[in-house]
Amino acid sequence: MKCVGVKYCGGCNPHIERSKFVDELKKILAEEMHLTVCRGQEKWELGILVCGCATACADRPEIRELAPEWILVAGPNVDIEPTPVAEMARVVALKIRKYFGGRDPHEVA
Amino acid sequence: MALMTGEQYEDSLRKLNMKVYLLGEIVKNPVDHPIIRPSMNSVKLTYELAQDPQYEDLMTATSHINSGKINRFCHLHQSTDDLVKKVKMQRLLGQKSGACFQRCVGMDAINAVDSVTFEMDRKLGTEYHKRFNKFLLMMQEEDLTVDGAMTDPKGDRGLPPHKQADPDLFVRIAERRPEGIVVRGAKAHQTGAINSHWILVMPTMTMGKEDADYAVSFVAPADAEGISYIYGRQSCDTRKLEGSPIDVGNRQFGGHEALMVFDNVFIPWENVLMAGEYEFSGALVERFAGYHRQSYGGCKVGVGDVLIGAAALAADYNGAMKASHIKDKLIEMMHLNETLYACGIACSAEGSKTASGNYLINMLLANVCKQNVTRYPYEIARLAEDIAGGLMVTMASEKDFRHPEIGKVVEKYFRGVATVPTESRMRVLRLIENITLGTAAVGYRTESMHGAGSPQAQRIMIARQGNLEQKKSLAKALAGIKE
Repeated sequence: MKCVGVKYCGGCNPHIERSKFVDELKKILAEEMHLTVCRGQEKWELGILVCGCATACADRPEIRELAPEWILVAGPNVDIEPTPVAEMARVVALKIRKYFGGRDPHEVA
Repeated sequence: MALMTGEQYEDSLRKLNMKVYLLGEIVKNPVDHPIIRPSMNSVKLTYELAQDPQYEDLMTATSHINSGKINRFCHLHQSTDDLVKKVKMQRLLGQKSGACFQRCVGMDAINAVDSVTFEMDRKLGTEYHKRFNKFLLMMQEEDLTVDGAMTDPKGDRGLPPHKQADPDLFVRIAERRPEGIVVRGAKAHQTGAINSHWILVMPTMTMGKEDADYAVSFVAPADAEGISYIYGRQSCDTRKLEGSPIDVGNRQFGGHEALMVFDNVFIPWENVLMAGEYEFSGALVERFAGYHRQSYGGCKVGVGDVLIGAAALAADYNGAMKASHIKDKLIEMMHLNETLYACGIACSAEGSKTASGNYLINMLLANVCKQNVTRYPYEIARLAEDIAGGLMVTMASEKDFRHPEIGKVVEKYFRGVATVPTESRMRVLRLIENITLGTAAVGYRTESMHGAGSPQAQRIMIARQGNLEQKKSLAKALAGIKE
């Protein structure tokens, strides 16, 4: 099982550049863990739901089933807190690190 | 192959043997014809985005038949959430293509035919729905693009089909055989016909008893014997032949329509979905039109997003962005565009389940949506032209811009803000021209007026669905009227 998965919304009218955010997040965490972009129904220990706007239409029960814990990026918000776009990747990276509590995420998997 | 890649889709079209006429000649290779190719690219985009994790949440769905992952264009809506996602997908595709991506007609047709054939079988004991389900399974498994073909040429609008001077002005059953039917006639304005694998024909209006032979619905391979296509001209279409991509405005994407002609085409019974049951023709027309009127609350909004963005860029490049009236015009454009989107979302969220199990949009709100679409894109286009300035229609050609001598003159005098290259200004003005006056205006303007039914058709539906008597009751109650 892969540890951290990324699931995108469909991107109909995004208020943030979703792929740019994910690229930045990958860069920050490059030496710590590998982020996997969702292509099927694989399960993760932690999921990052990347939605282009606050509607977060991809935040549905069947998506939530893919991981027990989620960090929700919805437009310029991280877990419902308004967050400067330039800070979002860093904020999410901190949340990921906090979730794993300093553990090696691959080890957890 | 539940999901084709873009390349697989393109290859699949190359295997078809369609009879296509364009500019007085037979087109041997429609896929690579420079006038047709951009429209193929738009449909191809519907396959490519379905493969992309960034878009798959909208572009794909779960088949209600076998729970497989399928392209949303092959999906029967199983919930109001599906209806909402359809509109969002269409907005996305409009944004990415800036054009008509054509595949909606098939999706809208299968959703209408599903519920109507189910109701026909239930009442009449026919087996149309069973046949339809077999076709649907193939469509989903092979990820087919299907042209939903409804609009007949119609001849004299004051006469029903059977009283027309020429009986072929509406598609009709010309002959019934033990093994199937033979059809004659034509379908006009067929969006994406030449980029489709199959066609799903439906009657164009409510038929009466005397027009029972015109109450016909069937599926057929797009290259079936006896079917031919005459490609529709678009404003500025031959610019695509000039080798000047800037002048085309949108080099990569486009849409198309064609006249689809049926010259004694044999349809085996297994592909016939209505053959004379005129009392169900009205329901089929209304439901298809309703779904398609919903569609415009997504696709036109996506193209509108592009046009608004282009107008804002033009203002930037003209040095006019700080002017308060320009800002206000852009606000108005966004307001109008989002109003259309609101209608598309509303008629989806207020949808309901049909007897067959798929979901139908709220018909009143879908018709309100389309009625607004007959107006707002025109106003958005007008404002875009206002912001862009006259240069969008008086600008020199790309060949002049590239010319070794006069190119410097074009570069010098067509520059706006000094820091922005003249070429960028030319490109964005040509894009605005493309959407408002050029090839894409077919989809953004006149199709907004007449596609999915002309404005009066929506007003008739609004009158039927508007619940006027209840409104009178409200007024009476507050006014203290007892009668």
